[in-house]
Amino acid sequence: MSTATESAGARLVLNIYIGLFVLYLFLPLAVMSAAAFNSFDYPSVTQWQGFTLKWFVALAHDQRLLQGLVNSVLVALGVIVVSIPAGLSGALILTRLGQRSGTMLYSVLVSPVLTPGIILGISSLIFWREFGVPGGLFVAVMAQSSFIASYAMLLFLARLQRQDRTLEEAALDLGASHTLVFRRITLPFLAPTCFTAAVVAFLQSFENYNTTVFAIGGEWTLVTEIASRLRFGLSPVINVVGVIFVALTLVAAITYVVLKQKPKT
Amino acid sequence: MGSLARAYGRPLAAVIVGIAVAWVLVLILVPLGAMVEQSLWWRESKGDVSLTIDRLYNDISLMELDRQSETDPAKKAILDQSVSEKQAEIATLEAQEKNPPKSYGIANFTRMSGLHFYIFVRTIFYALLVTALALVVCYPVAYVVALASGPRKAIILMVALIVPYAINELLRVYAWLMILDYRGVINGVLQWMGFINLDAREWIPFLENPSAVFLAMIYTYVLFMVFPMVNTLETLDRNQIEAARDLGASTLRIHRRVIIPHAKPGIAVGCIMTFMLSAGSYSVPAIMTRGQGGDWFSQLVYRQFYEANNWNMGSAYAVSLLVVCTAFILLMMRLFGVGLRDIAK
Repeated sequence: MSTATESAGARLVLNIYIGLFVLYLFLPLAVMSAAAFNSFDYPSVTQWQGFTLKWFVALAHDQRLLQGLVNSVLVALGVIVVSIPAGLSGALILTRLGQRSGTMLYSVLVSPVLTPGIILGISSLIFWREFGVPGGLFVAVMAQSSFIASYAMLLFLARLQRQDRTLEEAALDLGASHTLVFRRITLPFLAPTCFTAAVVAFLQSFENYNTTVFAIGGEWTLVTEIASRLRFGLSPVINVVGVIFVALTLVAAITYVVLKQKPKT
Repeated sequence: MGSLARAYGRPLAAVIVGIAVAWVLVLILVPLGAMVEQSLWWRESKGDVSLTIDRLYNDISLMELDRQSETDPAKKAILDQSVSEKQAEIATLEAQEKNPPKSYGIANFTRMSGLHFYIFVRTIFYALLVTALALVVCYPVAYVVALASGPRKAIILMVALIVPYAINELLRVYAWLMILDYRGVINGVLQWMGFINLDAREWIPFLENPSAVFLAMIYTYVLFMVFPMVNTLETLDRNQIEAARDLGASTLRIHRRVIIPHAKPGIAVGCIMTFMLSAGSYSVPAIMTRGQGGDWFSQLVYRQFYEANNWNMGSAYAVSLLVVCTAFILLMMRLFGVGLRDIAK
């Protein structure tokens, strides 16, 4: 199946290169994961003192990390609530605008994606202080939404480009009300994208650090809590969090590959 | 707007436009404006104001002491009056102290100290270096994933790249912290080989070297270069490569004349994302230096906000960073001849 554009030697070099690159990507993660099971109370793989699960137990009793997890989920849900309608509205307008004014609006709506995260956090922090809202979960939601809404919009735009508009027009001609058309034709067409965008928004929000650290003020999310712990030294409890992340991602990836390959067999 | 109303009806169109306008204003433009505004003024804090206030308070307590021992009602009244005068003076001074007059200007930008400016320039330089290195490292990877492997292998490779990419950036940095720390993996291996003795606190302090931040940063952001390139390269018709080869072009020439020109938008996006992320990264330097070193510009910004509590100065720093990033984006767009629409695909 593969194209024979390379000589055997070149292919070998490329394969070795890719192998090394993947190794480079995975080795640090493997080291981090392994140390979570070491009973030595400094995360290490070179000073192995026996297999243990006690750090998992320690995590389960870590109130601040658990509260951080709850806060992260709250923020992520807030981001979904704000950014999905915003992204959808932006996409609906852009698909109906002319080339020139469209490009203008498009630039503004995409700009948060290209802005450094700390800038988004800072500007939201300053803006909401004007209204007496100090840094916290709410400001974090607003700061994150400003760029996550852009991602949602890009997903919706891609979907709307494949939309057959005659369907909506036909329904209108047949006497359906605008709201009915929107509810029965437009939204069902966009529903899969709504789901994808919500998942993307959740993950982006959950992972976010650079924006959140400025906007969060005195509160904390799972990620900002991990970061502030790392300042005081390493603890295997953080490795446990890492193992859980790695495991979840691997499960998701393997499911994806299996699903993707199934139709071919 | 007309076509929107025709398609969805006036009320619904109004809601859609309303949400979009709120997004643009409340989440993007006005906060940005507020930050720029904040960077353009400062308050003149006069130390002598608080000194004067302290002195007045002293005077008042002295007079109140006098007044208690005073028996003559006339003198008492005079003392009462001067006390209330001084209290009024304190009130105005305190208002001034709490809310000193704003002065507008660009002083926040010009007042940046030499050291901070040096860190600013060094951050930009390192970010450019990260970008260039990531480009060189990732081009072959993107090429193999997109063009030089069968579909099955491509999927597996794609997943192999997505998994580390999907792991939280913080944890990826943490992994490097573990490797480079005093009692980290490298020092552990060195001890095992007998070069150093950790118990005697002999270790190589990798983390105290600025290149530790650099190493972790490449690791953290390298994949933001891969995916945009893979996306554009996947749309290249492989027959073009075959045709070039059949016509006698060398491998180098094929890359230069066929593949790289096609990958241009992807390269531009990859460079923009990598540069923007590394220039504005707070996580990597903050964790790698444990918040002790002032190695990266973003840390200076953070300290202006949360330690020095000088939001005006902090905003000025943030605006400077934003200007550099915007300039970089415009430069890349011009250089690669791509528009914003190509970028956000």
